[in-house]
Amino acid sequence: MADVRVEKLRRQFGSLVAVKDITFVFPEHAVTCLLGPSGCGKTTLLRMIAGLERPDAGAILFGDRNVTALPPRRRDVAMVFQYPVMYRTLSVIENIELPLANDRTLGAVERRQRVDEVIEILELGKFRHLHIDRLDLGSRQKVAVGRAIARRTAVTLFDEPTTNVEVHAKLALIRAFKEMRRHVKQTIIYVTHDQTEAMTLADQIALMHEGQIVQCAPPRELYEQPSSEFGGWFLGNPGMNFLTPQPAPQGGFQFDGLPFPLFAPNAGAEEIRLGIRPEHVRISRLPVPDGVPARVLRSAIGIGGQRLVTLVVGNSRIKAKIPPPSHPPEDAFEIGAEVFAVCPIERAILFHGGERLAEPPRRLAASPLAAR
Amino acid sequence: MSRIRFERLRKSYRGSVALDDIDLDIEPSTLTVFCGPPGSGKSVLMRILIGLEAPSAGRILFDGEDITPLPAADRSIGYVPQSFALFPHMSVFDNLAYPLALQGAPRGDIRARVQQAARMVRIDRLLDKRPSQLSGGEKQRAAIARGILKNADIFILDDPLVGLDFKLRESLMEDLKDMRTEIGATFLYLTADPLEALTMADHLVVMDGGHIVEAGAVEAVYDHPAHLRTAELVGFPRCNILPAQMEGSSLVCRSDIGRFRVVLEDGGAASEVMLAIRPEDIAPAVSTAAPPAVGKVTLLENLGSETVVYVRTGETTLVTTIPAAANAVVDLGDAFPFMIRPGGPIVFDRSTHRRVGRLAETLNG
Repeated sequence: MADVRVEKLRRQFGSLVAVKDITFVFPEHAVTCLLGPSGCGKTTLLRMIAGLERPDAGAILFGDRNVTALPPRRRDVAMVFQYPVMYRTLSVIENIELPLANDRTLGAVERRQRVDEVIEILELGKFRHLHIDRLDLGSRQKVAVGRAIARRTAVTLFDEPTTNVEVHAKLALIRAFKEMRRHVKQTIIYVTHDQTEAMTLADQIALMHEGQIVQCAPPRELYEQPSSEFGGWFLGNPGMNFLTPQPAPQGGFQFDGLPFPLFAPNAGAEEIRLGIRPEHVRISRLPVPDGVPARVLRSAIGIGGQRLVTLVVGNSRIKAKIPPPSHPPEDAFEIGAEVFAVCPIERAILFHGGERLAEPPRRLAASPLAAR
Repeated sequence: MSRIRFERLRKSYRGSVALDDIDLDIEPSTLTVFCGPPGSGKSVLMRILIGLEAPSAGRILFDGEDITPLPAADRSIGYVPQSFALFPHMSVFDNLAYPLALQGAPRGDIRARVQQAARMVRIDRLLDKRPSQLSGGEKQRAAIARGILKNADIFILDDPLVGLDFKLRESLMEDLKDMRTEIGATFLYLTADPLEALTMADHLVVMDGGHIVEAGAVEAVYDHPAHLRTAELVGFPRCNILPAQMEGSSLVCRSDIGRFRVVLEDGGAASEVMLAIRPEDIAPAVSTAAPPAVGKVTLLENLGSETVVYVRTGETTLVTTIPAAANAVVDLGDAFPFMIRPGGPIVFDRSTHRRVGRLAETLNG
């Protein structure tokens, strides 16, 4: 068992730097998800850790062992791919057992015990003697997970294992993964482009963008406290609203969506943006404290019957996620309705040049004139 | 603006029926989503509308005029297929201009219209590039722009976002809606994705097995589905469907998750029923004053602002969503006491699959 450390790891394809000098520690026994859009470098990073891709520079360590120059089979690592790689003529238990046969330290009894254990954890019992060909893709992928964890390698890697699996099988696979985690302690690195999967499975998420890890945090923290506009945009369905300011006549910055100016950080207005997630924006028919006039541009039914309302506020568009209407509905916001929008600043984040400012947004102190 | 009407439209291939008595009016200047599983008939219907196939029976009217015999070229319908191949040896501009040049449009006119379409999908700064220099999303935007450049007031978009990145889909959905408003045309939009259907639609046409199950304004179809299949197909996460029995001639039904008082609609009567309980009609019970049902949490899916909770009770697994703020109090394997929101769940006749009423309240015992 070991943590996985990468130091100044770099991989370049022609002029494209896929992985840009990443230094990072994947903690022992934790599930770390590498999350990011396609082309962010997450799969290249994973393949270098597996030994399937050679780094151009940098080092990979499993615990204290420098494995950079070692081939995959000498790294003590197992991997689950997008498509399950299987022995098609063998049964489920034979597929799980076969890699164990290479381990000379294991006797036949212990081998069988390990196979039985993963078959029970992954609820594959009724398939155990079936040939792999008889299984659907989702169940085959479960077998691939079983085969990887039965080896009890220090490190297990997952490369988007649910991508090609239909939705019900995907849920079953996610459930199996969670169950597996309760029994097996391994260092797991799991690559996905699917934010829901990452937020559901990870102890911590390493968010990747253009060859770098831009933030690493537990799922909830990553969602609520993105360190960059990229994180605010990438996570969430839909992502964060971003508002650009105008210099306010009384000093500070004025945003559409706020009835008062904000204290101006020491930066130009064009570099500053205010981010707020749609679920924090409130809509009211009547004037409310901190509300600004808004017009309903459109409204759509969203996840779990919530309404996703797009508002026009000044020159900006702001999306609001509001709870499903009651039965019978009394608070539907029809298109074109004139309403009031509230963007609570305690829920908002200020970004400067794309990066989160340490200072939370705060109301500009009342002008001396008003104070008198 | 053309008002499209399908009248008793049928299509069969060697005796197997692909479309069965399609009667449908489409509101002009709206976005109508056709949703349904593969093989439901939505693509065949579009092929007939475009004129690529002839119906076996029935007709299509534009503003009351029968266009069924017209060849495809005379129907003035724009089409954006699933994957739109761009010519690799031409610039983005020439790719977009190509269909207009074919129609013989004047040069200055072409330039203005290409630039307008490119602006709508935000690729106006990429017009001099080759397709190989574009990202996947930019290519798709270029393809959409080319599709809408045709002079038409009806556009068919055949699952235009399938296979694209989640974030790209989010921004393209926004672009497409803006574009529809800007050009004021009628959009017919095909998708099998329930959340995409709900996000895009003004009107929704639910298809299954060559039939139109139900059609109407999206909110009405979602809130008051007339047919069990609609409840199954429309909504995300999926609607919970479970069997129940009416107790004798009373207005009470009994199911795996409890007894409920039912309000039947006029003429609604059934003994064997199905309950359609949307995820939002299940709420964590806050007080134990009314003894709620209790299940066990088998999976939590974290969507960021909300969490999808899978709750097992007896032989049934129910799906519900809770706001992320409440997330901290629920964990895998936990007991999950819950209540059913009065007035929400819908009661369907188990044999006809027609709506007969709604659940009014949960009863004790």
